[in-house]
Amino acid sequence: MADAFPLAPVEPVRDPQATLTDLIEVLLNRGVILHLDLIISVADIPLIGVSLKAAIAGIETMLEYGMMRAWDEQTRAWVQRSITRTVPFQTDEELVARMAGAHEHTALYRSWRPGTVYLTNNRLFVFRREPREMLWETTLEAIRSIAPEREQSVGGEERTRVRVELADGSITRLSASEPERLIELVRQEIPAAIPGESRSTTTKARLLYQGQLWYHEPRAGGPVWRGGQARIDSSGFTWKAPVDARAAISLQPDEIRSLRFESDHSPTGTVILVVDVPWGSLRLAAQNITDIANALVRFSSGRKELPKPSE
Amino acid sequence: MGLTVDEKNLKNGVLSLVVTLVEVIQEALETQAVRRMEGGELTEEELNRLGEALLELDEAMEQIKADHGITQSVADLREGLDDVVDELVDKLINPRIAEARSERRSGVSGGAE
Repeated sequence: MADAFPLAPVEPVRDPQATLTDLIEVLLNRGVILHLDLIISVADIPLIGVSLKAAIAGIETMLEYGMMRAWDEQTRAWVQRSITRTVPFQTDEELVARMAGAHEHTALYRSWRPGTVYLTNNRLFVFRREPREMLWETTLEAIRSIAPEREQSVGGEERTRVRVELADGSITRLSASEPERLIELVRQEIPAAIPGESRSTTTKARLLYQGQLWYHEPRAGGPVWRGGQARIDSSGFTWKAPVDARAAISLQPDEIRSLRFESDHSPTGTVILVVDVPWGSLRLAAQNITDIANALVRFSSGRKELPKPSE
Repeated sequence: MGLTVDEKNLKNGVLSLVVTLVEVIQEALETQAVRRMEGGELTEEELNRLGEALLELDEAMEQIKADHGITQSVADLREGLDDVVDELVDKLINPRIAEARSERRSGVSGGAE
């Protein structure tokens, strides 16, 4: 035998990398018992005491130790009796597409709530399974336009959002894993929903008025005159300020109890139109307030009295 | 220990941290779910429900990360956390080897061991 290779000494080696997931898995699989006695003191005087005994483990481990079996079975049995956990489709509603997505929630603060976007032959909605909640939905007919919108996200990457405008003037934003495909499919379902084309061109929405209108909007600190766009057609009387996400006024004909003119200061003069509705009164003003008043009269089927404005 | 949070964009940093921790919990749930599935006690309906729910959860996490553009920060934070765990386990299992390793890392010429 010629030369023998010098062999390197054998060293015991651990698996290369322990990850956090592995650590938690091992702890949960084996089970962890925690005994904690804690006193929080100030100036050596105990003020808060904590005496904690905890057993934390994966349920399988608990079952192996003979714990929680009854509770586990009760929990699983309760679910059988509760309402069905499937997606709330209507009868005869057919699914066209579904994909992961999110709905932009704008009530108190802006945030994206994740769920699944469903497009059917009747509706577009975002549904979350766990916990079960319909995050947002609309019928396809109520969609006035749908278009992509690029946005700079918090983390810096550009995202394509889906901007949906509804017949009542409200704007909702969704995100989807395939935004362009979703928009394409929605447009196929309702050919009229193309950006820039207003629904008033169809025979269904008979337009009575569209234009500038001032609304004395009730606010926490007192009512404020705000300018916006009013639209009166057969689907409703809506008013929305440009900076708002949704219409502040959205009325049906039978919600208009009466109309009258009043003398009061407004951004356009000294005459305002007061519209009485079941929950109060709306104070409106415009340069052509009589045109708007007449449109509202026609809107509510001409049943309302309208005295001439006093000089 | 190299855990860095993006100071330039604090919202980004805090959000990434929160999402990272949620992801860790999500993975713990998934491993325990697998154990339950293998345990053989769940009915078929329960298995389906569990599988679908976890899948939706996974999709939701991906959606959240993508929507806020934090996929890379979260991945980096995970790596940082894993490094911390790795060092910790090293120290616990064999303090002498761990010490020798860190001495080698910092370039100290070894003494006898």
